[in-house]
Amino acid sequence: HEHQTAQKLQQLDEEKIYGLVVELLNPATREQALLDLSKKREQYEDLALVLWYSYGVIPVLLQEIVTVYPLLTPPTLSGGASNRVCNALALLQCVANHNETRSLFLQAHIPLYLYPYLNTTSKTRPFEYLRLTSLGVIGALVKNDNPEVISFLLSTEIIPLCLRIMETGSELSKTVAIFVVQKILLDETGLYYICQTYERFYAVATVLHNMVNQLVENQAMRLLKHVIRCYLRLSENPRAREALRQCLPEPLRDSTFHQALKDDIATKRCLGQLLLNLSDGIN
Amino acid sequence: TATTTSATTTAVAAAAAAITNNHVIARAENGASPFTNTNVRPPITNLIPQSAASNVNDDEPINIPNLGPYLTFNPQIVMYTTQPNSKRWVLQAITQSIREIIGPVVERSVAIASVSTRELVTKDFSMESDENKMRKAAHLMAQSLAGSLAMVTCKDPLRTSMVNHMRVLFTANGLSEVIAEQAAMLTVADNLDLVCAVIEKTAMEKVTMEVDDALMNAFASRKKHREQQQQRGGAQPYFDMDIFAMSRYPSTLPEPLRPKPNGLGVNQLRIYEDFTRIPRSAAAVAAASAGQMMDQQQSLMDQQQRLLRTNGRPDSHGSGGYGNNAILPAFDGGNQHQQQQQQQQQQASAHQILERFAQ
Repeated sequence: HEHQTAQKLQQLDEEKIYGLVVELLNPATREQALLDLSKKREQYEDLALVLWYSYGVIPVLLQEIVTVYPLLTPPTLSGGASNRVCNALALLQCVANHNETRSLFLQAHIPLYLYPYLNTTSKTRPFEYLRLTSLGVIGALVKNDNPEVISFLLSTEIIPLCLRIMETGSELSKTVAIFVVQKILLDETGLYYICQTYERFYAVATVLHNMVNQLVENQAMRLLKHVIRCYLRLSENPRAREALRQCLPEPLRDSTFHQALKDDIATKRCLGQLLLNLSDGIN
Repeated sequence: TATTTSATTTAVAAAAAAITNNHVIARAENGASPFTNTNVRPPITNLIPQSAASNVNDDEPINIPNLGPYLTFNPQIVMYTTQPNSKRWVLQAITQSIREIIGPVVERSVAIASVSTRELVTKDFSMESDENKMRKAAHLMAQSLAGSLAMVTCKDPLRTSMVNHMRVLFTANGLSEVIAEQAAMLTVADNLDLVCAVIEKTAMEKVTMEVDDALMNAFASRKKHREQQQQRGGAQPYFDMDIFAMSRYPSTLPEPLRPKPNGLGVNQLRIYEDFTRIPRSAAAVAAASAGQMMDQQQSLMDQQQRLLRTNGRPDSHGSGGYGNNAILPAFDGGNQHQQQQQQQQQQASAHQILERFAQ
């Protein structure tokens, strides 16, 4: 009996979702449907499949995305417009996150439509929110350590875009941006790509170095964790290890972060391993 | 902080340089941003995925129309009246900037838009047997996406490049730095929309050919199927096996969300027609959302009327839901709206000017 009730409830949910997706296709009811669907996206497992395979839904979401392009330069995006497009992005995040739709999402090159958002620099809330939500979509793509995702991203401009956000973004945006870079580094091809040329390594190392200097002042723990893991991963590449011996920021070598890392054993261990990798005699 | 940053930069540079000397890390071949191949706009123009690279684009050089007669010269800049030659410098600077930027921007926008269009149209038209409907939808979508991408990508670099070129030409011809800068900024502001429209239009034209190329087989197989059916007197619906073999969807989706075996409905095709209504300027966005508010009311009224008439469930699309002519008059009629309309007319005129080149 209980099973039957559960099934019935699921069916009701499904019908509600289908209703909202139909409303999404109609410009007159779209804005509300975007909001309602993005709220429900975690309750219904197959939402990504419904969104991808329903006629016209992805084209409609692309329309939502390109519609606000003219508001990016000069920056005139309002809070309302930002909310609306962020709801559309939340639905795309759901598609990026699902194992059965992720490849299709990449094959259609949808992530590239978010890059103009990541390329904005306005510090106002609507823009911060827009960048953060866009990074969320890229974050969802890299979360599952899929080599296909990394090779797609490496063929695009995502690294310089993330690096700039790591330097100038809000703390939350910085965290998602460095998460993306960390995931790229963790991939074999990604690490090789970044350490392949002097300029690439230099760009990444400079931004990480600046972040460490900022962290000395604000002690943002969440960021520090990622920074240390990025350095540790870089130190696994022989060329980068050689370079890091000379340019690892001093605060990571001395006791600057001892207090901050006191309770984070895992990160402390990463830092120890990093220093060990860089110490002379071990090669 | 400035000292720390520069100290950091030096330290990292020194270390990185040290290993380069050992040939540990190979130096990139060009001097551009480490992650990009072109120096037009470091973060955004870059390697286009190989699959997307096109033959169509490489063949012919891009024609840049003569914008001379259409440029705006601000009367506040005395030079334009006292020294008629100065207008030629402006045209020269603008042409230089377009040449620098148009190639990579158009290539990237066309590559991305045509891939997205190919993938999504193939999926949505998997049961549509009329290749002409499919082609039309693909063109509308690809043109809109390529145009939007080109516009958003080129605007900033074009502005910067045009200001630079003009300033250099103005000072070389005897203007002081300050005056040259001011004149350049004003002139660029007056003409930026026009120049962006050139790039947008080029992207829209190129992508049409690109998409026809990408969907050539899809069109041909539909035509073939129809001819076979006619010969045999059969009425087998068309469907793209590749799409249906992929997933249990879309066959488990309810009717309005699923491609229909006997062709797509008018409301379904309208979703692709809506690509022609994407605004290209901030003013047009404002006007469109005003128009849509009007539209929403209209749609609600239509739905209510249908309810009264049929006493049943209204068609989820409503009958007026798609009828938005982006420029419907708004209800307030206030001053702000008039300004918006004026701005929009200006934007439209940049496009109208370009239309003349096509004739």
